[in-house]
Amino acid sequence: MKKILFAFVVLAFVLAACSPAATENPAQPASTEAPAQPAATDAPKPTEAPAVDPNTPVMGGTVIVGTPQEPGTLSPLLSSATIDDVINAFIVEGLVTMDGDGKYAPVLAEELPTASEDGLTVTYKLKKDIKFSNGDPFTCADVQFTYEAIVSDLSGASTSGYSDIEKIECPDDYTAVVTFAEVYAPFMRLFAFIVPKGAGDLTKLDTWEYNRAPIGTGPWMVSEWAAGDHITLVKNPNYREEGKPYLDSVIVKILPSRETGVQLLGTGEITVLWDLTEADIPTIEKLDGVGWSGALYGYGENELLVLNFGANDGSAPADPSKAPHFALSDLRVRQALQYGIDKQTIVDNLLGGNVKVGTTVLPAGQWACPQPASEYNVEKAKALLDEAGWVVGADGIREKDGIKLSLKISTTTGNQLREQTEQVLVEMLKEIGIDLVIDNVPSDVLFASWDSDGMRKKGRFDILLYTTGGGIDPDSHLFGNYHSARIPTAENEGAGNNYSRYINADVDALIDDAAFNPDQGARREAYCKAAEQINKDLPRIFLYERMVISGYREQLQNFRVSPGYADLTLDSQNWWLKP
Amino acid sequence: MITYLLRRLLQSLLTLLVISMILFGLISSVPGGIMSAYQENPDFTPEDLARLEAKYGLNDPAPVRYLKWLGNSLQGDFGNSFTSKRPALLEIADRLPNTMLLMGVTLIATLLIAIPLGILSALKQYTWFDHISTTIAFAGQSLPVFWFGLLLIIIFAVTLKGADGRPWLPGSGMATLGKPFSLVDRIEHLILPVSMLAFVSAAGYMRYLRSSMLDVIHEDYVRTARAKGLRERVVIYRHALRNALIPLVTLIGLDLPSLFGGALFTETIFAWPGIGRLYFTAALKTDYPVVMAVLIIYSALIILSNLLVDVVYAALDPRIRLS
Repeated sequence: MKKILFAFVVLAFVLAACSPAATENPAQPASTEAPAQPAATDAPKPTEAPAVDPNTPVMGGTVIVGTPQEPGTLSPLLSSATIDDVINAFIVEGLVTMDGDGKYAPVLAEELPTASEDGLTVTYKLKKDIKFSNGDPFTCADVQFTYEAIVSDLSGASTSGYSDIEKIECPDDYTAVVTFAEVYAPFMRLFAFIVPKGAGDLTKLDTWEYNRAPIGTGPWMVSEWAAGDHITLVKNPNYREEGKPYLDSVIVKILPSRETGVQLLGTGEITVLWDLTEADIPTIEKLDGVGWSGALYGYGENELLVLNFGANDGSAPADPSKAPHFALSDLRVRQALQYGIDKQTIVDNLLGGNVKVGTTVLPAGQWACPQPASEYNVEKAKALLDEAGWVVGADGIREKDGIKLSLKISTTTGNQLREQTEQVLVEMLKEIGIDLVIDNVPSDVLFASWDSDGMRKKGRFDILLYTTGGGIDPDSHLFGNYHSARIPTAENEGAGNNYSRYINADVDALIDDAAFNPDQGARREAYCKAAEQINKDLPRIFLYERMVISGYREQLQNFRVSPGYADLTLDSQNWWLKP
Repeated sequence: MITYLLRRLLQSLLTLLVISMILFGLISSVPGGIMSAYQENPDFTPEDLARLEAKYGLNDPAPVRYLKWLGNSLQGDFGNSFTSKRPALLEIADRLPNTMLLMGVTLIATLLIAIPLGILSALKQYTWFDHISTTIAFAGQSLPVFWFGLLLIIIFAVTLKGADGRPWLPGSGMATLGKPFSLVDRIEHLILPVSMLAFVSAAGYMRYLRSSMLDVIHEDYVRTARAKGLRERVVIYRHALRNALIPLVTLIGLDLPSLFGGALFTETIFAWPGIGRLYFTAALKTDYPVVMAVLIIYSALIILSNLLVDVVYAALDPRIRLS
């Protein structure tokens, strides 16, 4: 008995002894301590007195990429989450991709494809002497197979554009001629991935071995997938660039959360942490030897406010003029909101000035259509509201015909940055006499479908706060979000994302024209005009531009986040670890 | 005995059926789901959405889907995961060894801590030792796992560092990536999650054993044994402990299903690739074939282990008759 009591006393002492050790630690010189052992466990040690240029790539080593989500599948035909595509891009390549500047660039195509005069025929010249990781040569037959796979019954891929294809012909192994039944103007976005014809039988697409270990032309291939834990990628022996990739392997580690990831990035247990947000930047910058890389996704995404033009009672009018919103249907109220919001303050105070204020639906990339930033002007806001008949009541809140100008703002619960943004907005709008009430809901409720009576689909809101935008081609986003045909209604079973119930015949016509015009210059002009008109009508207020951000150990060279879906993998064949 | 078992098994099947109905009903009434991921994406045309709905079997009303699910599961097919498209049972089988390792080691560690402490604090009732161990046990029982786990990680896997600048213990996963498998490495990865789980569950076991031991040592047969002049050691270990352990069998038996189900919080916090974590991520993505498969197997195991406990009880204690 005495002995056990003694053991407890000893244990207590040990525990007590631990705490001073913990507090002492930060006092130690961080430069010698913290980054000591990076994730690259196999990284070559610096050799004795190296006389080589420190910028010469070092061969070998392992990079560990941390992600809070596990990919469900690595088949681009079945992917349903962003992480699926982010990881399969280490392995799978397409004919055309988006480069680091958000512009189209050929990958397996010799050059960007060209369309015929009538826009119905698109011709791809394919690169020669390319082999898949299993040794099979890449030819036009693989392009045909990819198309067949995408439109097959078991496919989980979007068929937009592919469903307009009539046939694909192969005059020779290295030419693919795609004939469309009708003009599909965003043809450049097609064939962003190639599935080799050896992948398997299309009637068994769900159970292909390919789904866990794709056969691709990229620098990497899967060697092991330990479910729930990690995926190991090793060099593709048939990769076209001689002597690359420099690294021996890339390991994708599944993490419990982003917060854990930040810790592990600090200790060097991981080299790259995928998918940070703007709010993580200050924490990342405090870590020793850790940097971050960010890019606007595609032509840019915005954190934005969706303003409801229709009644907010869930009646979901197809034409909001029949059942207008009591305040937001008035352009002057929407303009007052825009004038009353100091976007720059939000960016500076909540986001550390690391992002730009939102100005347009098309801020970046090859579709960029820059617009001036909106003016913050409380006086103009007040004047507009006065003009619209909303006068300040006894409690400082404006009212009209006995109705108070009280608006609900909703976003997903649990997102700290968004909750802070809302609080700032409440203060700003109080200045101009608008009572903004925060009413947040879980994301499954906010984003629920029409059939599940989703509040967004049914228009049961005043103002929504979330992020959207940024694909490779603006066609589907502008059509889906701003075209009057995409107002969710009972007739179209709730299809579409035009939650503002915004109707402008000019914008409709511009979007339609651009969708069927093979002349890319004319399309850009049309989208730009539409974006300008949208800024005049204000169905949405763009608060700030969202970035795709990843953190990384600065020892890793040539790491850059790209604007494409494959935001991590740009140049992964050129990654190397500085000893 | 045989009729008793048969009746109990039949009852169990009915219970399972009701459980499956309730679970299916709950899961299919949750908003969101796999389709909302596609509906968000304007690249997906209405035709795509219709095709995908059919592919995932979501275009039928819930009762029809339930009957289809029931028919397939009775033949051992729990459907394919929505996210990975692999059979739900395969997803489970991939993670089962990891969970069994974690929970098996935890159970052993729990018993190794709880049994000696439970006996000692009963024998030394109301002494300093009893008070301290009881306090610690209460603390253990009341600790929120998600908080305690993070605390352990911050202390042992981040703050405390050895001479080489590396943290004392790994804070996540079950192996150091990029290194060949080694037993030492696996044990290092087990230390934190097992300590946390064992600390929390040992508390319950210890309290149980203490009170059961206290009951027993005041029984007449223990006094008789002492009166016979047996040595204290023999009295305690042969006469008292064996009887005091019977209630513990119930506890262990009821804990057995967790060898399958794992520990949701612990596995999630320590990134242990087990069934608890699989269940958690599947639930977040409303991947209901996987969620249903885990829940149904878990429910079946709980029912079975209850039955097992009853049978073992009868074997341990001849006074109990099963009828």
